[in-house]
Amino acid sequence: MTTVVLDPDTAASAKGEAEEQARTQRNFGWQLLWRALLEQKTALVLGVVIGVTWTAAKVAVPQLTKAAIDQGIERNGPLLSWSLFIAAAGLATGLLTAGRRYLAFRESRWTETLLRERMFAHIQRLHVGYHDRAQTGQLMSRASSDLQQVQQFVVMIPITLSNVAQLGAVTVILAFTDWRLAIVSLAPLPLINVASRRFSTRIHPVVLAVQNEQAQLASVVEESVSGVRVVKGLGTESVQFNKLRKEADDIRQVSLKAASIRSRFLPAIDLLPSLGLIAVLGYGGHRVVNGDLSIGDLVAFNVYLTMLVWPLRNIGMMVALGQRAAAALVRVDEILSTEPAVQSPERPRSLPTRNSGSAVGAITFEDVTFGYGEDHAILRNFSLTISPGESVALVGATGAGKSTVVRLLLRFYDVVDGRVTLDGIDLRRLDVHDLRRNVGVVFEDTFLFNDSVRNNIAFAKPDADQATVEQAARLAGAHDFILQLPNGYDTQIGERGFSLSGGQRQRVAIARAIVADPRVLVLDDATSAVDPSKEHEIREAMRTVMEGRTTIVIAHRPGTIALADRIVLIDEGRVVAVGQHRELLDTCERYREVLAAWAVRDDDAEVE
Amino acid sequence: MFQMGGGVAPEDQLDKTETRRVMGRVVRMAAPFRRTAYAAVGCVVITTSTTLAAPILVRHGIDSGIRVRDLLQLNLSVGLYLVLAALAYTFGRMQYVFLNRTGESFLRELRLKVFAAMQSQSLAFYDRNKAGVLIARMTADIETMGELIQWGLLQFLASGFLVVLALGVLFILSWELALVVLIVFPVIVIASVKFQRDANTAYLSVRERVGQNLGTLQEGIAAVRIIQAYAQEEAQIKRFEKSNRSLFDSHVRSIRISTWYFGLVEFSGVIATALVVGIGGWLVHRDTVSLGTVVAFILLLSSLFDPVQQLSQLYNGVQSAAAALHKLFAILDATPEVDEVPDAVALPNRGDIAVSGVGFTYASGIVPALQDVDLIVRDGERIALVGPTGAGKSTLAKLMSRLYDPTNGTVTYGGINLRQSTHASLRQRIVVVPQEGFLFNGTIRDNVRLARIEASDAEVEAALERLGVLAHFERLPEGLDTEVRERGTRLSAGERQLVALGRVALVDPAVLVLDEATSNLDPGTEAEVESALERLMQGRTTIVVAHRLSTVRRADRIVVVDKARIAEVGTHGELVALGGKYAALTRAWEKSHAV
Repeated sequence: MTTVVLDPDTAASAKGEAEEQARTQRNFGWQLLWRALLEQKTALVLGVVIGVTWTAAKVAVPQLTKAAIDQGIERNGPLLSWSLFIAAAGLATGLLTAGRRYLAFRESRWTETLLRERMFAHIQRLHVGYHDRAQTGQLMSRASSDLQQVQQFVVMIPITLSNVAQLGAVTVILAFTDWRLAIVSLAPLPLINVASRRFSTRIHPVVLAVQNEQAQLASVVEESVSGVRVVKGLGTESVQFNKLRKEADDIRQVSLKAASIRSRFLPAIDLLPSLGLIAVLGYGGHRVVNGDLSIGDLVAFNVYLTMLVWPLRNIGMMVALGQRAAAALVRVDEILSTEPAVQSPERPRSLPTRNSGSAVGAITFEDVTFGYGEDHAILRNFSLTISPGESVALVGATGAGKSTVVRLLLRFYDVVDGRVTLDGIDLRRLDVHDLRRNVGVVFEDTFLFNDSVRNNIAFAKPDADQATVEQAARLAGAHDFILQLPNGYDTQIGERGFSLSGGQRQRVAIARAIVADPRVLVLDDATSAVDPSKEHEIREAMRTVMEGRTTIVIAHRPGTIALADRIVLIDEGRVVAVGQHRELLDTCERYREVLAAWAVRDDDAEVE
Repeated sequence: MFQMGGGVAPEDQLDKTETRRVMGRVVRMAAPFRRTAYAAVGCVVITTSTTLAAPILVRHGIDSGIRVRDLLQLNLSVGLYLVLAALAYTFGRMQYVFLNRTGESFLRELRLKVFAAMQSQSLAFYDRNKAGVLIARMTADIETMGELIQWGLLQFLASGFLVVLALGVLFILSWELALVVLIVFPVIVIASVKFQRDANTAYLSVRERVGQNLGTLQEGIAAVRIIQAYAQEEAQIKRFEKSNRSLFDSHVRSIRISTWYFGLVEFSGVIATALVVGIGGWLVHRDTVSLGTVVAFILLLSSLFDPVQQLSQLYNGVQSAAAALHKLFAILDATPEVDEVPDAVALPNRGDIAVSGVGFTYASGIVPALQDVDLIVRDGERIALVGPTGAGKSTLAKLMSRLYDPTNGTVTYGGINLRQSTHASLRQRIVVVPQEGFLFNGTIRDNVRLARIEASDAEVEAALERLGVLAHFERLPEGLDTEVRERGTRLSAGERQLVALGRVALVDPAVLVLDEATSNLDPGTEAEVESALERLMQGRTTIVVAHRLSTVRRADRIVVVDKARIAEVGTHGELVALGGKYAALTRAWEKSHAV
């Protein structure tokens, strides 16, 4: 949890526009929470009602105790009935304590749960351009630690309300019992609230500093363990040890600072109620001697004062929790209020159906200009036409714009100028999901989910039957090795499961694309992670899949390039040559250069 | 209101003897901080005693002051109460200071000791223990204890002391009423024990699902491109909802456990008051106890019940700290496998490497990784080790640099068994160049200097100059003082490799052991790395675990390792002519490169 209370920018500029803006942001944050809480209003109202009833029962106990002492013990009254009254009040407080706690925690968790789902859903729908800028870790901490801050605040709402009620009720009762003693004994208590609040604000940054130091130590440990071969190979253990000692010293120092803050506040917070209790015994005692007060009242005062300690502390903490929650809500709202830049049109056109007789899968790029930033265009007046069923290899140096072509085809981004069409329809006039279901892609980095092989292959069609999955796996040349996995198609793979080799992962990814059965298939550098000596196995799979389907292949190894009907050489965002492999080798100087550059990297395939 | 973190998985729970052993060892390790520890305990005892003394003063004030209208006694009670409050405050402050000073010094000591123990282990240790686990020992496990020291240990000590003392005081005040309290007390104790167990289980389940949910969340974010490309957003949202709801369910289960417990505790507290009032009143009527005693009992009840609650909540934290200590002590106790012998000798400046009758089996393996290996590498000779993955060529290289000791047979350098050598001379003569340039946090200069920490700036620069790469790094805006950032992400893979070679040049060893990179570098630096390597190898004995034919061809002799044994030894020409395994490997390579 390394969240900062306020955005440093807004904290630094202390006046004017920035502050105004921060305030509006905070308002948006609170509105977000308010709307979320409105959806749970039944439970929350019930929580408040139970809280108030709890207050009544809780406050009644000392009153009953007092009556029992004064009437029962001092005046020889009926002891049994008073004891039973106290017991009954005890039963009520017990039940209501449970109810209050249950509702408060349950509802706060529910708020957290629902907000997290809303965030996840929103993140899923946000355009790729947003994800290019956002870091996974940042989004994760929004959806985990920030929401936790919100939860910690929400849980305190009903609890604080009943605490405030309790505070009010006790003050009134004490004032009615003996207003003079009430003033004297309650006087130190507001300081508890002040001190708790200050304590929370003071300790928070130090706690963060401790976490920060711990993170630094962790990074020394991490590099020493991961780099153990270097450390051992050079015998530099002492260097790492000195680094670690410095970090360990820092942790100790900051932790002691935290301890000193605690030592300044916590005993003082404990001291304040004692002062009230002393006042009760001294001043109250004298009043009892003078006959202005009963001993029962004195005991009741004692019990009530002790009863107020926790509510006062909590209210103090509430302020700090509220500040942290506000900052967290601002960050959450920032994500939720970002509009996805790529959206389906109101009335989308539909693609021609595939069995209507005419071939489908025609792609055109017409004078397309596009860049990721404002200043730098990756594609400039890029034009390319691909006929239905044709296979095309895009070849070019790093950064030439090959992958960008693919991303535009998937409408991960919208073109700046010109247009891209699929079967004659501008991509922006199509339903986004409809478009993407018709363009299957195998990326360079094959992401496999922590799930069974089966579910990974059936990713695009979760309800696909076993036969379809197996058929796809066969076509992709994956069926045989899948059968050899510990649980066949049910083997868990992904980061936390059985680890597959690069080539195996690639074949699963190809099978995934086959199940989607798209009219256009894109293989974006799908073989680069594979050992050159094993590439031919995947090449076979690719050849099968490409048959009768419009295919775009991005590749740099001659063997893979040769699979395509036509080769398009891209350089600096333009098409510079089109033709067949042999033809281009003979005629195009730039083509030879690009291939040669790639070949250097591949030079010397592994001997083994 | 807030629960201490920390839960203990059943398999980590320690039995009584283990716990006692761990505690005894903690006490011994904390011996240097004995004084502050005693001071802390003293402060805790005094502060806790004041908590209990207060109701007794109230009793005195009521019985000897108010009821008999003796103002002197009443004022005396008030005065003493003030003194008591002042004591509580003063010692309260001191207990935080002393306790934390002891605790944090202990943790610092523990961090240093465990880290030093980890570093003294050989590579075999790192093969056996996953990096993540080792890192967790040094971070999460020790932090759990830090949290306990900062928040819980004080309460735990004070609470335990308070329960015992409060019970004592109650019995002294009135054994009759104390027996009445003991009717309710066991209920709280039993409920607390059950709560502690259930809460632990619930906590573990929450923790597990939090992890799963974070995993799903992370996957959904990291894979957003593939999800969108396949238009599977809705399916993923459902998938996340499922894991998120299951986390919510486990939260609710854990809330239920604390719900009944806190309700019961509240109820029992009031019932105890009712009993004390009822039976105490009856005893007052019979003049067995005084009214002040009854009042003192009512006030003392919270001193008895609250600490039991606290103990049950802190118990899990203390238990998980004990479990963590147990694991940390296991690291401290592991004996390093590759250790310096007492009468170790320095290796000579130059010499042949002789491997004779060597066999090796990894601790995790059953099948030997190497068997009956004999090989002599002449001073200044360049050897390439080739063979299929898993044949044992990397293992052979590791034995020749004593990253491991052989299971049987010997490896000698200049006639001295590597087992007899000093660590310092070994790392000066024989240096291992790893596959990938691994960088540590710091500048480029720091990273090179790592190899010989006392080297001057000029020596660092000279080392890079000898490889012909100094100019390359000086061209960077901050030159050699460029911060490499996390894992050197600011440098290319090739540049990282150059830094790693610079380190070796700084050591200036007689023997290089080189594990050639399998992955490819960017074409620009590839050539630079090649040339730097070539310069580095000049005049040194070199053993390369080779993956590339071009490297193999430049070697003086080629050693083919197959199935844990040396299969062929000879020059390129000789081995091709031989028509054996090496010839087959060469053919395979040529074929895969054809279009």
